[in-house]
Amino acid sequence: MLRKEQNDYLCQTGPGTPMGDMFRCYWMPALLSEELPENDCPPVRVKLMGERLLAVRDSEGKLGLIDEFCAHRGVSLWFGRNEECGLRCPYHGWKYDVTGQCVDVPSESVESGYAKKIKLKNYPLIEKGGVLWTYMGAPERQPAEPEWEFCNVPLNQTYMSKRLQENNWLQAMEGGIDSSHVSFLHRGDLSNDPLFKGAAGNKYHMSDFKPVFEVVENEGGLLIGARRNAEDDQYYWRITPWVMPCYTGVPPRGDHPIHGHFWVPIDDESCWAWSYDYHPTRPLTEKERAAMADGKGIHVKNIPGTYRPLANKDNDYLIDRAGQKAGRTFSGVEGIGMQDASLQESMGPICDRARENLVSTDNGIIMARHRLLRAARALAEKGVIPPGVDPEHHKVRQAALLLKRDIPYKDGAKEALKAKKGVSQTSV
Amino acid sequence: MQSESARVTTAREAGFRVQYPNSKKRSVKIIALDSGTARVVYDIAREPWNGAVFFTSLSFDAAGSPGDADGTTMHAWLGDLAGRMIELVGEVATADFVVVLASAGADAQSVSVIAEACAAYSKSLLALVVPGKNTSEADIARSLSHLRPYARMLVVASDADYVAAMLTALRA
Repeated sequence: MLRKEQNDYLCQTGPGTPMGDMFRCYWMPALLSEELPENDCPPVRVKLMGERLLAVRDSEGKLGLIDEFCAHRGVSLWFGRNEECGLRCPYHGWKYDVTGQCVDVPSESVESGYAKKIKLKNYPLIEKGGVLWTYMGAPERQPAEPEWEFCNVPLNQTYMSKRLQENNWLQAMEGGIDSSHVSFLHRGDLSNDPLFKGAAGNKYHMSDFKPVFEVVENEGGLLIGARRNAEDDQYYWRITPWVMPCYTGVPPRGDHPIHGHFWVPIDDESCWAWSYDYHPTRPLTEKERAAMADGKGIHVKNIPGTYRPLANKDNDYLIDRAGQKAGRTFSGVEGIGMQDASLQESMGPICDRARENLVSTDNGIIMARHRLLRAARALAEKGVIPPGVDPEHHKVRQAALLLKRDIPYKDGAKEALKAKKGVSQTSV
Repeated sequence: MQSESARVTTAREAGFRVQYPNSKKRSVKIIALDSGTARVVYDIAREPWNGAVFFTSLSFDAAGSPGDADGTTMHAWLGDLAGRMIELVGEVATADFVVVLASAGADAQSVSVIAEACAAYSKSLLALVVPGKNTSEADIARSLSHLRPYARMLVVASDADYVAAMLTALRA
């Protein structure tokens, strides 16, 4: 459990909050590249960590993330005309460049310098691996660009999707750390989902429902090892890296693409669940890509033109009780992503952790909360840059492997847990 | 499903507007053109301002007067709240915009000198006519006729309170 003040500390990420300050130390995924597909395309509303912003790609392809509202009378610049290297407010014609600098106030003479006095808040926006990343912290502390393996492989080897999740970021992320639920909630999908089925390791999930968790600290966060009994005096290990503050990797299955998530706060009651898939050594097949686009694996089907899942709380997640009874799904909700999201949203917009009763399999969650609290306090009190900011911390991989029972997984999987260009994942 | 515009225009969503400043501090110079508006300036200058600088008088070197053919060559001086005389040109050069106050019916022709300085430095000149208790329409018309050729914004204030309200709105 957590005391209310601890829970508030971890869950609140708005400007000026300790956890908000910590999130603002990192490059965060802000949009998919497909959301700003071409120069002078329509601007896109973006809310991150409780700040309403607008993403823009100008006539020269320059990217920017600026305050959503015109400095003149507070109109949303989402209605703006994106043309000639600037976004012009349709109300009175004030125009802004991608840095938020006002470059034209038609009612005032250029010589008066009035436009130069107007500047909207802006954040850098960079494109990498099909994702537009932003850094919302102090400019003098801006870290080097992110080095996640999925955004460093060729684009034909990677796939990214995002979906709205209507609850606080932390309870969503804790689902990514807690792999013990897979044996229950996702059991049907291990044998049916085209992006999961067929892996030799799946049988261990179905034969051992009592995984034992071993959590060790890693440079950027934690390694959460879940071991299940296997034949020949071995354990089947599934190792989930968690990199602070909100990256979780899902251990791979066979030669299926590797996947994982970012859980990015929109505000304190909603977050973006980012889901990536990539293969370190080969292009994704058309079949795999089609399956991902169809909401298979960790991806979901969204309402066309939006990033809200088709199955959502307004339609009871399209729950299929007959399917649940027949064992096609364990919860009645289809798809791994929505199986997770439906249960996490059912906890309420912000989970009351004072009422929890945690068990041994929640060790990863307990340690992650502790590290988050510790790092946020160190930042607030001593200015210590938190783990996970250094791009070297991004070069971690998830792994699934069999190890002799007397070998500690951190030693036995040491090389498997490193991202290595041109080297395939370690997987069973 | 609710449209995105419907969703983001709620009171709750308004709470997520960014709170960082969206404009830099302005340098606004407020000049009273006569003794009546000088009293207004003394009053409002006591309020907290965002760097506004107030002047209670405009005077000239001996050579020439406003409207003279050679008026452009003369030196004009502003009197500040402490009674110091400061050269007009220097104050206009460092302003973002200049506001002049004229009492309705008073002679406001000296505005032409301020306007010339504003034009030389590409600064906007705003003018307010402040009516008195017994101001007539003719008084107001006279003041407007003096100010209209130069002011980018010309306002007849309803009373002295309006001056402070307008300066606040302009982030003075």
